[in-house]
Amino acid sequence: MSEVQKKKYSDKEKNNIFDHEFMPHIDSMYNFAFRLTFDEDDAKDLVQDTYLKAYRFINSFEQGTNAKAWLFRILKNSFINEYRKKSKQPSKVDYQEVETYYNSDSVDYNITSDLRIDAVKDMLGDEISNALNSLAVDFRTVIILCDLEGFTYEEMAKILDIPIGTVRSRLHRARNLLKEKLHSYAKNMGYDTEEE
Amino acid sequence: MEKKLDSSGEKKLKCGDVSKCFQLLESILDGEDKDASKEVLKEKLSKCQPCFEHYHLEQAIREVLKNKCTKQSVPGELANSIRQKIEDIK
Repeated sequence: MSEVQKKKYSDKEKNNIFDHEFMPHIDSMYNFAFRLTFDEDDAKDLVQDTYLKAYRFINSFEQGTNAKAWLFRILKNSFINEYRKKSKQPSKVDYQEVETYYNSDSVDYNITSDLRIDAVKDMLGDEISNALNSLAVDFRTVIILCDLEGFTYEEMAKILDIPIGTVRSRLHRARNLLKEKLHSYAKNMGYDTEEE
Repeated sequence: MEKKLDSSGEKKLKCGDVSKCFQLLESILDGEDKDASKEVLKEKLSKCQPCFEHYHLEQAIREVLKNKCTKQSVPGELANSIRQKIEDIK
């Protein structure tokens, strides 16, 4: 890690950064927090703690750079350190195992070709949400960062402290897992997903 | 070795390397691989059925996720309570 050049912002500058660069992301932050904790109070606390930390360390933030990625990184670290143990769902993944498995090229792709796109499009918010929520936290996180928040692979690598190659493979694996979940929902909804 | 496509425009029913192709398609959808995207996309989607299906399914899932999973409304007092706490530590 390279040493971050510390700034020395005046109070006015600090408030300005906080109001115009940090606070506009509160919706995304709360959504992310809620999807990590599954609890409104925990999500509120997590977002609040994140903003307090952001303010305390505001001199490490370089004005005009990607505030959203910076905040997400703080939130994710706070979650790991303080909220993960409280969170309601078990969320451990053995990366080594899944990533070796993924890289072994033996992933079953059949699931992607026989699931009808219409089935996915007609799903209700709850079904989609439950499918996403049922993924282990590390898989859920990459999907949220990429598909919901539109971060680039490079930004995700920084937020999650993992190499870009790992971002890519984890994302790919996460999507296959999500598709399996959606596939079950589609089946339950009566879609014939077993095409000829 | 795979047979070369004839000019009838039939799509291949089997993709030569799903692992590589699908990952490439995903990275194009994710906005990475900007240079290659247009050419590669056109080529793959018009000639290979599995790639075509994978691409459109991926796209549909992303749209649905975005539309249906980002509406958690932020508690009204949260922003104020954060500002208050910051005033306190100043």
